[in-house]
Amino acid sequence: MMKLSRRHVLAAGSSGAVLAATAACSDPGANGATEDLDPAADVTISVGDQPTEDKPEELAAFNDRVAEFEAANANITIEPSPEVWEAQTFQAKLAGGTLPTVMGVSLTYSYELIENGQLPNMTPYLDELDLTGDLNPLALDNVKDDDGNVYTIPTGLFSVGIAYNRNVFEQAGLDPDAPPATWDEVRAFAQQIKANVPGVTPYAQMTTNNTGGWMLTTMTYANGGRIQDDAGTESVMGEETIAALQLLHDMRWVDDTMGREFLYDQESVRQAFAGGTIGMVLQAPDAYDTLVRDYGFDPAHFGIGQLPQGGSGANGTLTGGTLKLFDAKATPNQLLAAAKWIKYYDFDKYYDEAVALDDAETNAAAGNPVGLPGLPPVSQEIYDRYLGWIEPHINVPLEQFAGYTSSTLPLIAEPPAGTQQTYAALDPVVQQILTDEHADIAQAVADATEVLNGIIAQAAR
Amino acid sequence: MTKTLEAAAPVAKRRKRFNAARWARGGGLHAVLLAVPVVLVYAYFSWGPVIQGLVLSFQKTNLIQPAEWVGWSNFTYVLADPGLVQASLNTAYFALLALVFGFPVPIVLAVLVNELRKYDALYNALAYLPAIVPPVAAILLWKFFYDPDATGMFNTALGWIGLGPFPWLNAEHSAMPSIVLYATWAGAGSTAIIYIAALSTVRTELYEAAEIDGAGIWRRVWHITLPQLRNVIFVMMLLQLIGTFQIFTEPFLFTGGGPNNATQTILLKIYNYAFVNGDFGAATALSVLLALFLGLLSVAYYFVTKRWSTS
Repeated sequence: MMKLSRRHVLAAGSSGAVLAATAACSDPGANGATEDLDPAADVTISVGDQPTEDKPEELAAFNDRVAEFEAANANITIEPSPEVWEAQTFQAKLAGGTLPTVMGVSLTYSYELIENGQLPNMTPYLDELDLTGDLNPLALDNVKDDDGNVYTIPTGLFSVGIAYNRNVFEQAGLDPDAPPATWDEVRAFAQQIKANVPGVTPYAQMTTNNTGGWMLTTMTYANGGRIQDDAGTESVMGEETIAALQLLHDMRWVDDTMGREFLYDQESVRQAFAGGTIGMVLQAPDAYDTLVRDYGFDPAHFGIGQLPQGGSGANGTLTGGTLKLFDAKATPNQLLAAAKWIKYYDFDKYYDEAVALDDAETNAAAGNPVGLPGLPPVSQEIYDRYLGWIEPHINVPLEQFAGYTSSTLPLIAEPPAGTQQTYAALDPVVQQILTDEHADIAQAVADATEVLNGIIAQAAR
Repeated sequence: MTKTLEAAAPVAKRRKRFNAARWARGGGLHAVLLAVPVVLVYAYFSWGPVIQGLVLSFQKTNLIQPAEWVGWSNFTYVLADPGLVQASLNTAYFALLALVFGFPVPIVLAVLVNELRKYDALYNALAYLPAIVPPVAAILLWKFFYDPDATGMFNTALGWIGLGPFPWLNAEHSAMPSIVLYATWAGAGSTAIIYIAALSTVRTELYEAAEIDGAGIWRRVWHITLPQLRNVIFVMMLLQLIGTFQIFTEPFLFTGGGPNNATQTILLKIYNYAFVNGDFGAATALSVLLALFLGLLSVAYYFVTKRWSTS
């Protein structure tokens, strides 16, 4: 049996008590700071992302899996919690220590959480469970520190593409099976939609609650540029960002193909898209789930292509996803149990046909999309085998995702330093270009660069 | 008479000397025991966070790792933030607009309702109605009204008389006035209730006397109603000023501070530092600065209006 001292495992979290550093270091109390890892010891963990009461089938399936897991691991007690990641409350709950032992949060926080010591080093537990080798190496790069320690498990990965309304495309005389591949095409398609389909915003852009910066980053990547250097030490916005903003400016003020609403965020733009009033918008394929299930959008009208490219083409797209946030204050036994749970809940279906089928059947019965394209959290071969198992239950019109799934674009990670702050600082830039015809784009980018460098410096303090 | 005074003086002197036993017997101990829980609860829940906030403003912490003392660096960071000037100006702009356009509305409303001889309860209720709608629901509703398309609700209505379409929240110049318009609608009712209550204390003889002297409605309002309301108006103005400097919900829900920071306010900035950036040090540093500013403003306001209200 592997024995690890907590000192080795939890270097980062050992002095966690709020504002009481010295007291916490010598306090072996609440967190069992001197405890060694003992996989057989009785342990209780709380796990987030439990479906809420309004989704009874999903809730029942979740609870069944909890019961199965507990039956297979007699020493582990699971306390499910409906806690889900919410950008507006996450930092407060994290600081307040009210989050469960493990739950999913946006991959965006990865670097920040690792740097701040808000994630425990999970390497020993993942090794113990033999999980590291199976994870998608590309995603794993996002959750490691410089020494190669892994701090979390990435799941639900995606890259940004362009979602479009196939019905609008048809009305505009565009081929619904041929999404725009370049930004020049986006502009031309938007003009064609404007000319033929009244009452529709041909191309919409998200601008608020950090989504403006998120999408400007994506467009900068599509043009071959970056927002920060790879080490996250300075802002390196340049021609590529200016070109992206210039295009938005021209579509707004020259072509007038962007409608009148310039304060969209993820939720509101999806609502408008589901209402059939948007032709094209940058989205990841998970939009399908929200659009169809929550907003009643006709699945037949949904199409998605790879991120349109600028410059010399094939520059790449931005990736994102979910990371499993383990509680930095949890005991080694809790962390091992939590990792076991994630392995069981999120990964067993890729290795066990019966589990895969059961999971697919439950989701299909509940009306959830099954087989929704995305980037696999496991290696491609394992993922393809899994898709083969669940094929009879796939209920997503995969051919409407063909433009996205056939993409071979390079996948680029998010800016590493102060990611959400970086996005937040870029929101106003996009808003300015879309609401002020005479905005000086180069100046706006120069000003934003200064703000970003301030944020990076504050984050690195 | 003289005798009595002379005799009383030494007694008073003796009483000044503190006697613990007598004090306890006289109910002093009970009073303290009664007060202790309240004071403790107040100190812990009300002053505790204030002091904690003050401490946090000199620290770098994510509340998980041990806090580090960073001196004035949080303050220099927020003061050097290029967005601070704009946020301050926006907040002041909102306060000014709310004062000029929003402040008189409830007074006028209260005077009008007060002048009504019939159905005044009904008008009271109608005036108060917006205050019953939860702010979040009301803001989402108004966001819908403010649809910038020509088919939007307000734009359609204004289109009938040949105006618009206006971009409302979607342009830098009109976003803040749109928010003030909503805030006035939402706040007028509850403020008007206070004025109406104050008006009911104005003695009716004053009006009757003025009427006999031939004063019209405007002269009655100007010479009787407003002077009688003066103290309430001063207090409400101070409360509104403090309230407007703390505006958060409206820009947060309407625009998220946009477009291009046109509705970014101080409190929204504090919120973003804390809950978007996770930078609690910067958030509390700016909060401390805002509290200092509001404290100074209140003191200045007190002395200025004290002169007015007693003159």
